[in-house]
Amino acid sequence: MTDRLLARKSRNGLRKRSIFPYINAAGMILLMFITLYPVVNTVAISFNDGTDALRGGIGLWPRVFSLKSYETIFADEIIYNAFFITISRTLIQTVLNVILTAMLSFALSRREYVLRKFITTAMVITMYVNAGLIPNYLLLQRTLGLGKSFWVYIIPTMFSCFNMIVMRTYIIGLPDALVESARIDGAGDFYLFWRIIFPLMMPVAATIALFVAVGAWNAWFDTHLYNAGKVRLHTLQYLLKMKLATTSNSANAAMTSAEAAANTTLTTPITIRAAITVVSAAPIMAIYPFLQRYFVVGLSIGSIKG
Amino acid sequence: MKKTLLRLVLPLMLAVMMLPALPLSVVAEEALTVTVFVGEPRDQPTSDNKVFKMIEEEFGLKFEFEFLAGDLNETLGVKIAGQDYADLMDGGNYAEKLIEAGAFINLMDYISEEETPNIYQHVEPYLKRLLNEDGELFIIPNYGRYYNTEDYPMNYVNGPAFFLQKKVLAWDNYPMIKTMDEYFDLIERYVAANPTNEQGQPNEGFAILCEDWRAFCLFNPVQHLMGRPNDGDVIVDIDDNYKTEAYCIQDYAKHYYQKLNEMFHKGLISQDTFVMNYDQYLAKISSGTVVGMFDQYWNLQNGNDALRAAEMFDSTYQGLPLIYTPEQAGKEVEEHYLNGTVINVNRGFGISVNAEHPERLVQFMEKMLSDEWQKMIWWGIEGEDYYMEDGRFLRTYEQIQDAANMVWRNKNSAYVLTNSMAKKQGEMDDGNKWDPMVQPECYFLQMNDYDKAFLEAYGMQRPLDFFNDPIELAPYGEAWQIDVTVDQDANDAKLGYQDVQRKMLPQVIMAAPEEFDAKWDEYVAAAEAVPVSDFVDFMQESILELVEQVTGN
Amino acid sequence: MRRAKASTGTALPDRLGLSKHSFWHTLWQQRQLAFMSVPMLLYIFLFNYFPLWGWITAFMDYKPVLPLLENKWVGLENFKWLFSRPEFLGAVRNTFAMAAINLVFGFVFPILLALFLNEIRRTRFKRTVQTVTYLPHFLSWVIVVGIAQTMLSSTGAINQLLVSTGIVSRPVFFLGEGRYFWWLVGFIHIWKECGWNSIIYLAAMTAIDPGQYEAAEMDGAGRFKKMWYISLPGIRSTFMVLLIMNIGYLMEAGFEIQYLMGQNVVMDWSQTIDIFALKYGINRGQYSRAIAAGIFKSIVSIALMTSANFAAKRLGEDTLL
Repeated sequence: MTDRLLARKSRNGLRKRSIFPYINAAGMILLMFITLYPVVNTVAISFNDGTDALRGGIGLWPRVFSLKSYETIFADEIIYNAFFITISRTLIQTVLNVILTAMLSFALSRREYVLRKFITTAMVITMYVNAGLIPNYLLLQRTLGLGKSFWVYIIPTMFSCFNMIVMRTYIIGLPDALVESARIDGAGDFYLFWRIIFPLMMPVAATIALFVAVGAWNAWFDTHLYNAGKVRLHTLQYLLKMKLATTSNSANAAMTSAEAAANTTLTTPITIRAAITVVSAAPIMAIYPFLQRYFVVGLSIGSIKG
Repeated sequence: MKKTLLRLVLPLMLAVMMLPALPLSVVAEEALTVTVFVGEPRDQPTSDNKVFKMIEEEFGLKFEFEFLAGDLNETLGVKIAGQDYADLMDGGNYAEKLIEAGAFINLMDYISEEETPNIYQHVEPYLKRLLNEDGELFIIPNYGRYYNTEDYPMNYVNGPAFFLQKKVLAWDNYPMIKTMDEYFDLIERYVAANPTNEQGQPNEGFAILCEDWRAFCLFNPVQHLMGRPNDGDVIVDIDDNYKTEAYCIQDYAKHYYQKLNEMFHKGLISQDTFVMNYDQYLAKISSGTVVGMFDQYWNLQNGNDALRAAEMFDSTYQGLPLIYTPEQAGKEVEEHYLNGTVINVNRGFGISVNAEHPERLVQFMEKMLSDEWQKMIWWGIEGEDYYMEDGRFLRTYEQIQDAANMVWRNKNSAYVLTNSMAKKQGEMDDGNKWDPMVQPECYFLQMNDYDKAFLEAYGMQRPLDFFNDPIELAPYGEAWQIDVTVDQDANDAKLGYQDVQRKMLPQVIMAAPEEFDAKWDEYVAAAEAVPVSDFVDFMQESILELVEQVTGN
Repeated sequence: MRRAKASTGTALPDRLGLSKHSFWHTLWQQRQLAFMSVPMLLYIFLFNYFPLWGWITAFMDYKPVLPLLENKWVGLENFKWLFSRPEFLGAVRNTFAMAAINLVFGFVFPILLALFLNEIRRTRFKRTVQTVTYLPHFLSWVIVVGIAQTMLSSTGAINQLLVSTGIVSRPVFFLGEGRYFWWLVGFIHIWKECGWNSIIYLAAMTAIDPGQYEAAEMDGAGRFKKMWYISLPGIRSTFMVLLIMNIGYLMEAGFEIQYLMGQNVVMDWSQTIDIFALKYGINRGQYSRAIAAGIFKSIVSIALMTSANFAAKRLGEDTLL
């Protein structure tokens, strides 16, 4: 590695300077700008005064700073409940999904396992064949009666086939000797999995955990279908979806008439929406840079193997 | 290190897994919880809402609301597919779907003169209109049942009109705007002279709400311009044996959309208007930047109320009954925006087949229809929300302002529930009006100085005075009340026709002027290909049947 | 103790008289593996295969009030109806078009990004670019569509830019002009996923032996030649695996973005098979027709996947199974 770096340095020193790195860097900066502008813009709007925001034209910084939108959101008790539901579902779903998927991928990575082919095929088919929205809805709602319950967030999402394949690929890539030597010591498959393989799977497990957690955090359609009638089970994203796509009266009358006379600062939907967007995305935004190491390694597994 | 992480995470997980199993709030033991679906986006009442507290004490009922979030049609579809009905359901403009799907119990099994005298008295005069062919009743209408009165029951116009900000009329020295051309001409001149409002936000000449069923703002104007009150998607010629047609594809409709096309290219209609949802529409109105729109007052009322709350009185709206010129209509048109009072058939709560105690709910509705509770619903608590003087129900200015404020209502009124329940309108036995906004003292008190001066400039007393007196209600009622879901083909055709309108009328309006005619023909052809005639034929038949039923007997 | 378990393991099949090489015998020996996998098998049977039972309603005139088998059988009537509907054919076209755009964009842009990222020598700058471009991946579609609508509205940043630079004289109606819709979906997807999808290619490129570049340099290869002859072939197998997997998803144009962003005005371009099924099935209660549309979609997906798999085998690539 060091050799390589040294070699490169000397090379660069010898060659005539190319303008390419500058163009490349400029391109990358433009790309970052395109990526960040809408996000920063949303944050700026969320901190702007509501009435002023209606004039439009806010860029990367609030024009008339105001915390009113955030005050309005956090004055509503329902958002705390939504946070609680979203966090619970994300944690439970992630842990269950990762453990169960890892377990299955371990079983399906064992060449000697007689059901391997059958189960793998059955799993892979589900990646492409989907009964569709209505039969699935009828199963969960009517056959299993999971509507209006927290478990509708967990039970249908306990396992993912795509992730199983990623994990299985990873396990197959591990040295066979590990398993063989444990076998010779007479270890059972459970022991093998839990004590030997699973600890080695941490990079891929972390990646999958991130996949699942992001999906769980951002899901709203299940709430829309099954739990719309149960305010206590609304998730953050669903709350956001309601605020983005439908009417609420609180925003345009977020004060009493007495307040209106005394205070000319109005909160309006534009800023409220931006604020809820920020609130619902902030936790995951704050976490992902620290997980980058894991998911980059985890995602890379497939490529190296291929 | 990883192992420690796991050791830390696992117990935490287990703890979290247990949490949802616990009740999130301590529930009072005795009260029966009634689940309620309302097909309108609203806010949850606060937990300390005083009226709901009284209801809980009196009836032992607590309410858990689900309000519409998203598309009403889809939401109801999901509920029907899952047979997942709340105890009380208000399906709004798609209530017929619920009836058709068998979601409701037949209320006639519970209604009788002895058991439910209030309800009986309420529906009895209208049973002929309310009962279906099998003599069943699923919904007790929420509005339109007037007691002790012959007058037009409003001081303002709650229904359709072309609205215009009052400051615009004031700016032009209070002209009497009668025709579509005058109206758009004024908007054009006003926006040219005032590109922004006082706050510096750009003014928008004319807004058109095109979302879901609220797209009536886009479809409906033509029938009114032709001089008819609201019959929904069809226009009925009373003088020509109730000849029914879909007006939006007729030649006379073209004048209106051509006008909009012209306005669009003058930059007076924003393209965003075709993709905005109801919330964005209200937000725009509340900001005071929308100069005019066609709508029904109840649909824009929240926006207008917000303007009032912000004391931007000159930006509130006056409804104008516009008509076509004789050349445009092909005949002399008389203005008839107002219809005789009509009971709101199939709008309001039905009790679903999933409700465990239907008899208790019927009894609740019965009690709520008593004079005592009706006063509570309309006026509130004496001393807090209104006061009495010489036998008159009165409110102070603050009380009136509060009652129009959504945040106040969430805390102090059961509006979200009672809006869908049967109500008395018209007059109490002692001559007071049920609706505070109809009570003259209150109405004139709440009218601010700006409004008074505005009306005075026109030599009028009430916003209603801009309109002709209501015409007599046609024997078939109002055609939009006819339930189309009973005929699959007609229903498909109606939905298909509306799809075409929603999709193509914006294209017609935005078309380049030289392509307008071609685009219009394309639109009409698409509607005819649906075929819209399936729907119109069904309506024609039903209207004639109703007329025969009502006049023949 | 573990040994003891293993020995009782052979006991039961012996008692049942199963031969040592029989399937059941082996399965018994592998019961721990079975324990780790069979519950999941049952799980997918319940959640993925059992609902397929609902497909029979596609051959009925299904009314949910009746018990399932008491509905009237109509044969292929619903499928005939679908294929006589311009609306459905439009939905098929839109699904393919958007999926194809996503597929192509989904390869081209992330690979380009990876190629150029690979050229950056300053680690910190490189990592910053990566962190920033991953960001939108973590935003939900609700947020992304909300942001896109703000950016694309007539007063949004994009139109402001276009108008102020004089490229257009009047704001472009991105959200209401059908012909833009597919491309909008494509670009929004790219905005959201480009950085994320580049990870895997970048990883494959870092795994390329640096000696190859050096050798090429000796031969006088320039930067772009190296990209073309070394970096790109270096990610070939990664690319092939992903391509095969994604061909099977050619019917998956996404659901949320069209659901959240599709407006009536652009319906002719935005409606996918999924949205069509939702509209007819849920909104209009025509379950049979909606399910027939879903079946059609699944059949095409399977056909695509099998052919991709077949082709991969012929080309000597890895397959999924």
